[in-house]
Parts: sequence; structure tokens; C-alpha cells
Amino acid sequence: MARKTLLEYSRYPVAFGALFAQIFLIILLFVLTTVAFAGGDQRTISRFAGAMGYGFVVNIILSFTLWEIGFSIREEQVRGTLESLYLSPANKFSNLVSRIFAVLSITVLMCLGGLAVVSAVAGGLPVNNVGLGLLALLLTTSGFLGLGFVFAGITIKLKETAQILVNGLQFFFMIFCAMFYPFLALPSFVVDDISRWIPISYCVDLFRQTLLGQQPELGVSYAVEWVIVLAFGIVSPLVGYWIYHRIERKARTDGTLGEY
Amino acid sequence: MAGETVSRGFGLGRPGPRASAGVVWSVFRARLKIITRYKGAVFLESIIPVIFAGLPILLGAAVAGGEQNAANNFFAYTGTTGRTAADFRLYMLMGSNTFMVVTLMLWLIGYWVRREQETGTLEALYLTPAKRFHVLAGVTSYTFIRALIAFLVATVLGALLFNVNPLEGNFLAAVAYLVLGIPALWGISFFFGALVMRIKEANSVIQLLQWVLAFAMGVYFPVTVFPFLLRVVAMGFPPTLMNDAIRSTLLGIASIYGPWYVVLGLMLIAAWLVPLLGYEFFGWTERRVKRDQGVGQF
Repeated sequence: MARKTLLEYSRYPVAFGALFAQIFLIILLFVLTTVAFAGGDQRTISRFAGAMGYGFVVNIILSFTLWEIGFSIREEQVRGTLESLYLSPANKFSNLVSRIFAVLSITVLMCLGGLAVVSAVAGGLPVNNVGLGLLALLLTTSGFLGLGFVFAGITIKLKETAQILVNGLQFFFMIFCAMFYPFLALPSFVVDDISRWIPISYCVDLFRQTLLGQQPELGVSYAVEWVIVLAFGIVSPLVGYWIYHRIERKARTDGTLGEY
Repeated sequence: MAGETVSRGFGLGRPGPRASAGVVWSVFRARLKIITRYKGAVFLESIIPVIFAGLPILLGAAVAGGEQNAANNFFAYTGTTGRTAADFRLYMLMGSNTFMVVTLMLWLIGYWVRREQETGTLEALYLTPAKRFHVLAGVTSYTFIRALIAFLVATVLGALLFNVNPLEGNFLAAVAYLVLGIPALWGISFFFGALVMRIKEANSVIQLLQWVLAFAMGVYFPVTVFPFLLRVVAMGFPPTLMNDAIRSTLLGIASIYGPWYVVLGLMLIAAWLVPLLGYEFFGWTERRVKRDQGVGQF
């Protein structure tokens, strides 16, 4: 499946190139907006660009995980190949994970390129504790896989509407998990009543603050954030796959798997 | 006579004006019927511009240490004449709303072509006696209604959330500029539709172009901050003109294009010229695709 996904990508080189360029444009748009607000203060620009750049890495992984798994299931539905795929003896878990493998490999390249753009525009980014930062990112990605599985299930159930849900949730996480700005940009009641209740907020905070070499913004220690992110990285894929499995079984029992 | 009847019976007949209007209406109604099944999509496209405007407002307040500071820094940096924090919020809201309208146009027309390709109905559509122009007219009418609804709902929601009053400015004139800008967007959408027909996998390309548009039309800042060459290119772009016209009308700030009659004149030229060029390009691409591999491949 992973090879098939890569093969599909190679068949649409323009789309592939466009995806790269799009990411850079989004970052550039936000970094230039920061420059307009900073009033020429280079230190502020660098600090906020760092927060934005690292938040962007988490955002892009979340977006691709949610979109790629859910959207590829939807594509199989529309093309009419989903039902036949499920009649094959292929392992269902591998089937799901393989959809994201190719895209995650590509995302790594995009993240590196994106950070290079931010660094170039902002005149350098603070980089600390790279090993710990990567570990946090790995656990975060594992947690996102769980969300991706849930959305694959939701896509089977809700069909077209699931994409709207993904879109909406993407924006929800982007805003309330402060992916493009530090948490201090949000009103304190939003941080207290919403952000602190979402595990993804801790993923963003841990990864970003570790690399920036600053204290966590969410009012808990690094140790607590590590525990939350670790639990998210382990529990989320298990629960996510369980939910997906239930929805898929129900669809097969009802005979609605092929409907779109 | 008998031969002609037989020929027409075998599909060589061409629909008259009444039937052509029927084609436009059928396509329009079909698209509306489909979207009413996805109410969430309609709601979301009205919410997204508000979220999109909220991002720079929050970012600005955090970077500059307060919203008024952000507004001062922003207007000083961009050389715009707005002054208060409310001006700043409305500036961002209008930019995001206009961006949503432009994006919707491109998505709905570009993705319509792609959808027909994927579901295998594009080729069948080409075999019907209906003229492409009328089919496209149906689709563009639908996009116009949908974009206008999204713009108005997003303006109301944004006004409530950001505590700004768009009616303080000349709101009707701003909507008139929006309506006048739509034909040029149709023209650009035809270019997009042609591109989709040619390169097939459209999602990424449309997404990329929508960010290019965001950049070029100055969704978060006026294009005057760009280097000279980029600024000239961006200013020649119809969505930039539309965005600037709406903002300058509502906020009472000076347009980057000059006095109002220059803006109006440029918008009329764009409304006339761009759809013609876009449609020509669509037809040219269509002929090439039909000659090469056919419209059935995706």
C-alpha cells in the first residue's frame, strides 16, 4: 500500500511540487505578518518566528495525518474500490498505517524546508535540546495516528461530511492549541477553559518550548507535559484503532461499506 | 427533411434559447441540491474567514503587546491610513472574507471539473447537445450565490465576534464592488478549470494557487509592502483590485490604485476582459485535451 501511495504521488508530480510550495507560502505569509506587527524589533521577530515555525511542524503533521488517512478512504469509496479492498485478506491495520507512511516521510522534508524558510526570513531560529524535541515529536505523531484512525472510521460513517469535520477540527486545533503563535496570544480564559483540556496543546507546548529552550507556557512542569504526551502517544493509536474497527465492522454488517 | 429529422434524432440537434436556459437552470439546481445535503460545508465556509481573520489579530496582539500597538505598528509598516484597533480588525476581516470568496470560486469551478472526471461523467457531458457555455453558466451562477452567502454570513459573524460595525462604512458599495469583481473571478476560475482538465490531480494545485492568491491579493497586508516588481504583478491581479476596493470603501482608507473612479474603471475592465480570456483559454485547452487523450482520463 505504501508503495502504491508513493507510485500515485509519482504519477502527479505537479501536485507533489504544489504541496511543497504551498507549505512555504503559508509560513511566509504568517512570518511576514509577524514582521508587520513587530515594529522592527528583531528579537521579537526571531522569538515569534521560532514559536510559529515549530508550531507549524506539529500542525503539518496533524493535517497530513488527518487528511491523508480519512481522504484516502474517501477516495476508495468514491472510486468504488473500498469494498473490494476489504474483501481481500490484507491486514486492516497495515492497510491504514501504510496510507500515512509515504506522506509522513515527505512531511519530514517539508518541515525541514519550512523551518529553513522561517529561519531565513526571521534571521535565525533558536534551536535547543534537539534529541528531546524529536522524541516529543515522535510521540506526538503516534498520538495523531490515533486521531487519523478515528477519522478513517468517521469517513466510513459520515462519508462526504467527514471532510468538513476534519477541516473544522483542523482549524479548532490550529487556534486553541496555538500552533501559529505562542499560548500567550490567546485570552487567558481560552487557555484555561479550552487549551489546557486538549492533549495536543501539551504536544505543541512541549515540542516548541523544548526546542526554544524556554519554560512550558501551559502552567505545568516539563515532567507533567512529558507524562501527558507519552500517554497520548501510546493510548491514542490503541483507542483510535479500536473505534475505527468498531465502525468498520458495523458498516460491513450493515452492508454500507461501499456506499458513498 | 426526413434526413434532417433523422439526423437531429441522432443527436445533431442543437437546443434553442428556452432549452439552453433550461440547461443553466438544471445545472444550477443540481449543484444547489447537492450542497444542501452538506449543510456543514456551507456553515464551515462562513466560519473559516472569521477564524482566518482571528489568527493575525491574536498574533498581532501577542507580538506587539496589545491590540492597539499591533494596529499602530501594522498601519505604520504598511503605510495604510487606518488608525484604531477596530479598523485593524475590520481590515483583517474583510481581507479574509474576500479571500474566502476567491477561494470558493476557484474550488467550486476547478473541483467541479475534477469531480466530473473522477465520477466518469465529464465525457458523457461532452456528448450531450448542451453547449459548454450554458453548463458553465449554471456552475458559475451557483458559485456566485454560494460565495455571496458565505461573504455576508462571515461578515455578520465576524462583526459580532470582533465587535466591529461594517455598516459604518459604505457597506452597500462594498457589496457592489464584490458583485462587480465576481465576473473576473469567473474568468480566473475558467483558467483553473482548464488547468485541472489538463493536469488532472487538482487538489494540491488549487490549494497552492489559493495561497498564491492570498499572497498576491494582500489578505493580511496591502501589496504595497512587496518589492516593486512583485507589487506591480500583484496589483494587476483582479482579486487584489477587488480586495482593495472593498477595504477602501468600508474603512474609508485611500485605495492603492487611486481615486474611486479609477478603481471602478479598472473593475469594469476586469469584469469584461478576464471572463472572455478565461473562457477562450478553457475552450482552447478543452480542444487540445479532446484531441490528445480525451476528456475521460483522470
